[in-house]
Amino acid sequence: MLCMSSTGDSGGFFLCSCSSVASSKWLDAHYDPVANLYTFSSCIALSDLHGDGENKLVVGDLGTGVCNMKLKVYRGTGLLSESTLLDLPTGLVSFPMDLHEPRTPAIAVASGPFIYVYKNLRPYFKFTLPSLEANPLEQDVWSQAKEDMIDPMTLKEMLEGLRDKAEIPLSVRSLRFLMLEPQEMENFVLLHKEQPIRRQTVITCIGTLKKNMADEDAVSCLVIGTENGDVYILDPEAFTILYKMSLPSTPTLMDVTGQFDVEFRITVACRNGNIYILRRDSPKPKYCIELSSHPVALVRMGKNVVVGCTHETLHGYTQKGKKLWTAYLPAPVTTMALMDLPTRGFQAVLVGLANCEVHVYRDKNLVSTIKTPDVVTSICFGRYGREDGTLIMTTKGGGLIVKILKRTAVFDDRDSASGPPIAQSIRLNVPKKTKLYVDQTLRERENAVAMHRAFQMDLSRLRLAAARAYVKALESSLTPMSASLTEPLKMNAVVQGLGPSFKLTLNIQNTAACRPVMNLAISFLYDENLYSMRTAFFKIPLLVPGLNYPIDTFVECLSDKGISDIIKVFVLREGKSAPLLTAHINMPVSEGIALN
Amino acid sequence: MADDAMKTDVQLPVATDLKKPRPKKAPDLPILERRNWLIHLHYIRKDYETCKAIIKEQLHETQGMCEYAVYVQALIMRLEGKIQQSLELFQSCAILNPKSSDNLKQVARSLFLLGKHKAAIEVYNEAARLNQKDWEISHNLGVCYIYTKDFKSAEEQLNLALQLHKHDLTYMMLGKIHLLQGDTEKAIDVYKSAVEFSPENTELLTTLGLLYMQLGKYQKAFEHLGNSLTYDPNNFKAILAAGSMMQTHGDYDVAMNKYRVAAYSVPESPPLWNNIGMCFFGKKKYVAAISCLKRANYLSPFDWKILYNLGLVHLTMQQYASAFHFLSAAINLRPRMSELYMLLAVTLTNLDDADNGRRSHEQAVLLDESNPLVNLNFAVFLYNQGDKKAALLQFQEMERKVNAQVENNSNTDFDPELVEMAQKLGTALQAGENLYWSKLGKDSKTSQRSSSSKPSSSQQPLGTNQALGQAMSSAAGYSKSMQITSEPEADVSSAPSPPTVTPGEPEDEDEETAEPAKLKEKKSKPRAAAE
Repeated sequence: MLCMSSTGDSGGFFLCSCSSVASSKWLDAHYDPVANLYTFSSCIALSDLHGDGENKLVVGDLGTGVCNMKLKVYRGTGLLSESTLLDLPTGLVSFPMDLHEPRTPAIAVASGPFIYVYKNLRPYFKFTLPSLEANPLEQDVWSQAKEDMIDPMTLKEMLEGLRDKAEIPLSVRSLRFLMLEPQEMENFVLLHKEQPIRRQTVITCIGTLKKNMADEDAVSCLVIGTENGDVYILDPEAFTILYKMSLPSTPTLMDVTGQFDVEFRITVACRNGNIYILRRDSPKPKYCIELSSHPVALVRMGKNVVVGCTHETLHGYTQKGKKLWTAYLPAPVTTMALMDLPTRGFQAVLVGLANCEVHVYRDKNLVSTIKTPDVVTSICFGRYGREDGTLIMTTKGGGLIVKILKRTAVFDDRDSASGPPIAQSIRLNVPKKTKLYVDQTLRERENAVAMHRAFQMDLSRLRLAAARAYVKALESSLTPMSASLTEPLKMNAVVQGLGPSFKLTLNIQNTAACRPVMNLAISFLYDENLYSMRTAFFKIPLLVPGLNYPIDTFVECLSDKGISDIIKVFVLREGKSAPLLTAHINMPVSEGIALN
Repeated sequence: MADDAMKTDVQLPVATDLKKPRPKKAPDLPILERRNWLIHLHYIRKDYETCKAIIKEQLHETQGMCEYAVYVQALIMRLEGKIQQSLELFQSCAILNPKSSDNLKQVARSLFLLGKHKAAIEVYNEAARLNQKDWEISHNLGVCYIYTKDFKSAEEQLNLALQLHKHDLTYMMLGKIHLLQGDTEKAIDVYKSAVEFSPENTELLTTLGLLYMQLGKYQKAFEHLGNSLTYDPNNFKAILAAGSMMQTHGDYDVAMNKYRVAAYSVPESPPLWNNIGMCFFGKKKYVAAISCLKRANYLSPFDWKILYNLGLVHLTMQQYASAFHFLSAAINLRPRMSELYMLLAVTLTNLDDADNGRRSHEQAVLLDESNPLVNLNFAVFLYNQGDKKAALLQFQEMERKVNAQVENNSNTDFDPELVEMAQKLGTALQAGENLYWSKLGKDSKTSQRSSSSKPSSSQQPLGTNQALGQAMSSAAGYSKSMQITSEPEADVSSAPSPPTVTPGEPEDEDEETAEPAKLKEKKSKPRAAAE
């Protein structure tokens, strides 16, 4: 593994280690496949935490997804600090919250209904989402319970009644109560009845919005989206709610631009598959983009919004929701991030794909592809350490990848649509014909009439021969299928054994729809010098339609000369001399005797 | 804060807490929806395994009360093909939250996938009561109505969906309804507005191009197919369609270029190999043509069009015995097509089987309605047999058909070989000089023809030549008519040749050059066109 220096001067060091990928635009600065990070793009930030001009990587790690959630800070290739989080982090942002010197930004971690604000990596403040309005009827019921006016069972019934038709959903407490076993109820009521009813929601996404200045390090407000479809803008110092807006669905992804005091625009992707654009002065969405599939990631590039969708597409929209372009991707999108290099005037979108690639798109044109050892789950591009063009990715397996953009790297903005497809220059695979074929063709040309006549003649003969054979078979009942309408029978025979004794199994089936067949018998005709049979004649039981009747008999081969013969089987009807069915069984050579 | 928060994560069963004597403070209960965002995040990233694990845990914690977890689990199950189970889960979601139209929509969707369209319609209507303005409900209702064959309601619902919000999918369904009702014009209108709304959707462009082709508006068809290929140069349908159009214009090399792209992506398509074969035929590479057609025939042995082409190519190659087999196979598959009988008649004539040849001609004339070529060939046959009277009758019948076509204005561009042959025969029969050929004389080409045609050909050559001419013509006609399944291409940049400008003129030019050359090989001959 390479070690990464946080200063840009040591670029030469990387170059020599990566000479094998000299054509690549990126230097592999660091790859730790076992960094054990489980996180998303929303939980990663680059921030100058200590005000020393060196950017650190701050990661909200989801741990196992149940426990062991951590706030991790990386500096260079090493872990600088690690502190425990109390719940799964939903989002993490770094934001300048005040004007005090030194200007160190704060870290806000959204988790459940809370935002934990850290300054200098120390807990600083905890913000709790305001409670939602509780159902007044529910409150009544609980206050009755509090005064012991109703017993837990009545409480349960009343709450169930409320749940089924209430306009406002029940609080967690009531729902939890309804799940309990009857014997647990009383204790639960005792424990909780003193508390007021609260209904809380959780934060689903978080962003930042400059308060009143456009500077890079201007004081920023927090913007949060909640499970019940509200968007709040919080004052950065007092953590009071400055503005509240509501959406028709739960927000999942958010992008904020502008300044709170002047004009701002919040682009929110929601769980119902729509994107809403909110603006100042309007508590309701101003524009709506209906996508045909769920948005997976959302990035704003200049004035346009780029959305990656589950249908393996990338769409570009204007600020007002007008569709600009669509690009088709080779695999599902996992995450996206903006790649912004203001010094070079270059902006692109990094798209992580499920086929272990990261694509760089400028508008709808693919300008570069990065192969990764694993599926990338989060991407962050920006200044890390003192290096401006750093790409940080975490993988599904928990790895951490850091790449630095080479200063010589150029992204040529070629139009991927131009030029004919490569396949056009591939030769058609036309089957070759041999000399023989050509000769035959010539022969046919010369003798077409004779060939045709000979063919027609032979065809007629063939038909005649077939017809004759058929008639003969019908006449002598030689077929394995009986042609008679009253006794439609089917028979096949199986010979088992090596010799000198063979087992002969005849499978007889009545193929009539419903009528049984009776009074049948079977007899065998064979060369008595060669074979002997215990019973050469027996009666068949009544045949029920559709069933298969196996009839076994044993044949002894008398010859030791290794010869075999045909045994003929006749199915006969009582009182008729012509057989219904005939089968010729070609007996195998008896190997038993031949060996002796 | 730490204290407080610590407890938020405590998920211990409440009962254990209760055992402590009189706890001072009740623990905060975990919020039911607290992991919804995580479930959603994994779901949209298609990380279904992790998603299922989280859902399982969440459902365990909330005892199945977390609506969103159940909802996503049902979605995943549906993706895994367990539609019945997903339906049950969606129904339980609808019980947990009867006010959500989303739940009802999903219930209806599962019903739809199970083929219970009537039940789905009912549930969708219920959902529509909760949410009036949802294009998805209207769209899906429309689709359900299509399956129950209630096209009127379907159209109504789809139009409603389009009013609410425009989606390519809705346009496609609406177009499909019109096509199912056989109303191509209306379908074209729908696709036109769809293309206006979404000009880069190659599927819409291709469909519109094909519809124009069916109506014979080749220029418009070429335009749309060309656009489609600009956005997606690998679009198989558009390549076939555009290629077949180029082929009819004699642009064999450009068509082949396009086919190469298609052959790379779909190497085992019978129509593609058929078209490639006919391209080679047009370029007079007969052996390659037979190879390709035989491959097409191998891939799709019961396709009469391929057999027809094989018969035609073998006829051209003078392999009459083989041609006979392919044509009779085609007739067995497609017993009511006059051109097939005509070709068979020509083959039989060449096989010295005049009796059967005549019967086959009679059958062809019986089945045919508008193709003058059928009658002309019969007339030539009869003339060669010495039956001038019957020949004259057939000749007059041909005149009638030609005049009818001219009157209907459907097609005044007759194949020059047809004209030439008819003129020769007319002279021989001493009929028809005063009739339509003078009318057709208006066509500049015809006059050229007539001048070039030999004064009066002897009777002998007529027969053999005629067969060849026929073969050629039907080749051209064939590739045209059959390609309805497949089609032409119109990459304007790659096809700078005139076809886009005026299909009529240049096309004939090309054919002329192609055909006469061939005929010379065998001796100059007449040729008829199946335009």
